[in-house]
Amino acid sequence: MTDAPSLEVDHLTKRFGDFTAVDDVSFAIHPGEIFGFLGPNGAGKSTTIRTLLDLIRPTSGACRVLGMDSRRDAVEIHRRIGFLPADLALWNNLTGRQTLQYLANLRGGVDWKWVDQLSERIGADLDRKVGEYSSGNRQKIGILQAFMHRPEVLILDEPITGLDPLVQLEFHSLLRETADAGGTVFLSSHTISEVERVADRVGFIRRGHLIAVERMSELHDKALRRITLEFAAPVPAAAFEGLEGVHEATVEGATVTAQYEGSMAPLLAVATQHDVLSVASASVDLDEIFLEFYRDEVQAAEK
Amino acid sequence: MLRSVYLKTLRDRWLGAAIGVVALFLVAWMGIAAFAGMGDDAEDFIAAMPEAYLSIVGISAEGGVVGMMLGNMFNFMGPFVIAGIGVSMAAAAIAGEEAEGTMNVLGSLPRSRTRLLTSKGLAAVTVVVGAAVLASLSYGLAAVISGETLAGINLTAATVHLVAVALFYAAVALALAAWTGLRALASSVTVGLIVLSFLASGMLPLLDGGEAWAKASPWYWLNGPQPMLNGVDWAPVVVLLGAVVALALVAWWGLNRRDLGAGGARTPLLDRLRTDPRVGKAVSMLVGSGSTRGIATKAVTDARPLMLIGGAFVAFQAVVVGVLFTAIGGDIGSLVDSMPDAILAMIGFVDMSTPEGFYSGEVLSIVAPLVVIAAAVSAGAALAGEERRRSVAVLLALPVSRTSVAARKGVAVAVVPVVVGLCVAAGFAIGNAVGGLGMAWSGIAASGLMVAGLGWFFGALAFAIGAATGRAQWATAGTAGLAVLAWGVNAFLPVNPDYAEWARLSPVHWYASENPLEAGVLWGGLGLLAALAAVLVAAGVVAYGRRDLR
Repeated sequence: MTDAPSLEVDHLTKRFGDFTAVDDVSFAIHPGEIFGFLGPNGAGKSTTIRTLLDLIRPTSGACRVLGMDSRRDAVEIHRRIGFLPADLALWNNLTGRQTLQYLANLRGGVDWKWVDQLSERIGADLDRKVGEYSSGNRQKIGILQAFMHRPEVLILDEPITGLDPLVQLEFHSLLRETADAGGTVFLSSHTISEVERVADRVGFIRRGHLIAVERMSELHDKALRRITLEFAAPVPAAAFEGLEGVHEATVEGATVTAQYEGSMAPLLAVATQHDVLSVASASVDLDEIFLEFYRDEVQAAEK
Repeated sequence: MLRSVYLKTLRDRWLGAAIGVVALFLVAWMGIAAFAGMGDDAEDFIAAMPEAYLSIVGISAEGGVVGMMLGNMFNFMGPFVIAGIGVSMAAAAIAGEEAEGTMNVLGSLPRSRTRLLTSKGLAAVTVVVGAAVLASLSYGLAAVISGETLAGINLTAATVHLVAVALFYAAVALALAAWTGLRALASSVTVGLIVLSFLASGMLPLLDGGEAWAKASPWYWLNGPQPMLNGVDWAPVVVLLGAVVALALVAWWGLNRRDLGAGGARTPLLDRLRTDPRVGKAVSMLVGSGSTRGIATKAVTDARPLMLIGGAFVAFQAVVVGVLFTAIGGDIGSLVDSMPDAILAMIGFVDMSTPEGFYSGEVLSIVAPLVVIAAAVSAGAALAGEERRRSVAVLLALPVSRTSVAARKGVAVAVVPVVVGLCVAAGFAIGNAVGGLGMAWSGIAASGLMVAGLGWFFGALAFAIGAATGRAQWATAGTAGLAVLAWGVNAFLPVNPDYAEWARLSPVHWYASENPLEAGVLWGGLGLLAALAAVLVAAGVVAYGRRDLR
């Protein structure tokens, strides 16, 4: 990719007292890209994001957004990005519309036609007080305020929390449209299916360490799949071990479960030498893929 | 400045400030009307007052009864209310948005922290100045409708001094909150400073050469230069306003150099202090770990910080008062003898020349009620606090009935005032022993019991409001407002024999109709306070069981 990155984290470290929340993390996201930031709770996702926003400051290292330093140019960066925080809190005594008006007044440059259009798309209710909303409805206000000024970069922390599946779909197509129009989306999530569905690239963070960054398409190519074979009689696991593409094979009675990447042919060739009763195949969750491929890195991070 | 933030802050705060102004107006009106009704008697009182005394309390002889009452409004109740509003706004300026978690959205806007702080700070200044001006105008109104005149009283100058002092305290809270991000810490430390400087400016001048030391207290400058009589003394006003600007710069510096809080994931103030290596050990010893044994024990231990800090403060003051009395006891008698009933009313007509009277005037009439009511109200509002924090959903999913949860929370309302009362009695006992004052031990025990009784009533009132509405803020603010009114009714109505009977309506009257150090336990008053507290708690428990939770 030749474009300058629209979002760049450069050897970022953040400590809170003795606790290192983010440890020497570096990655870059380019225009037109949806970047999934994946990791379990407490891995350092929100800390990284809050540093990008200049809500907290790096212990060392730096963050750049649209080529500007997150600390020095915070105000200019904020003008051009949209942010949806995790665990969204708004002012309970304002209605949805008042909330948006308040933030629009502070921000400037809001296209209300676009806001109305968006709000219709995700079915937001703007006329009641935020304190009376369900968490899903509050989240919709959060989405609207992040999108309302057509930002160049979107930073979204657990955005689909509380949204029903239909709204999630609509939201994800909105993300895709944004990226196709040249925007950049930084999507933090612990919901694997969400990242799988929309991200172009995905970074995997664990205990403050960035374990790996992978293209989604490449991940799918080498994506592990899991096959479960049921035989008429027990088959020794050794028969499947060492086969091309097979990562792991376990036997439980007459059932063999194997994880493999690439072509299924060598595995099936061996299997059909026995009496196969049934075959079931499924994709392996993204985090299992990471854990499998980056076992050493994960172990190092756990220490 | 950000107009939207400024206007929203005003919008969120004007009602609270308006309630404060109305309360001040009511107290001023009540006092002026009571004095005015005395006719020539009041004039005689003032005429009989020694010149030295008039100058101490900042009243001109021409000011008359109105001047006397307004001296009280500008030097005591007004600054507490108006500085309190300013401190609460300043402490919440940025730290409040952090605590609520809304800073995450606000902080991602293309507006700098500096401008946010400026907008919030100016909103606080606007409310403080507006409330002070409106209150002063309302005093004028109170005088006019009572048929009195404002001749000889410089309302404007008194207001200028009041505003400068109130802004100073607000600026302290602003700086503390901007540096730490802890709203509760900033407001409680600043309120502590207000109370300390109030006591310092009142008590230090009683000592030889103490007047000079009293000038270090910001509170002194409300009345020290007697602005109501002499007009604005610009030097201290300029110094105070200069300090306000300096503190605002300190706040700006602190805010721009630190990480902002995230709200939702925040840990409670005490837990954060406990993890701080510098103060952690002391805090842990003071607070212990909250008991998780049951709802009632947890409710009591949750109230522990305010209960113990407040109790320790009042006990400490009681010891100091004991020592002070030994030092100046002889002189104070002659000064107090010359005071008119009107002033003595504020401290309950006690004879300050005896240790019992001195203790009653210095501790039992203002500080002890303040502490016990604050601690009891915080314990009483805790039930509604569970709704605000939404932890109530988890609590009520337990196999415990709703009324039972409420009743167990109510236990804290009974226990907390007793602990504060014990602190008061312990402080009196130590002061009595150290100063060799020879007060009766039974009277000291009775004082502790009466303080507890007052706490029961107001704690139960907060509990009932909170249980019935689910709004912790209504419980706290409503009870505080009623407590101020009750105090005013008890302090000023008895001055005029025609109105004196009405003071019986005030719960403070049942607590303070006689000095327990001399008269022992006032069983009638204590019984009434306890019975009403029991009724209020029971009503709260029933209401809590019947309504939809928030």
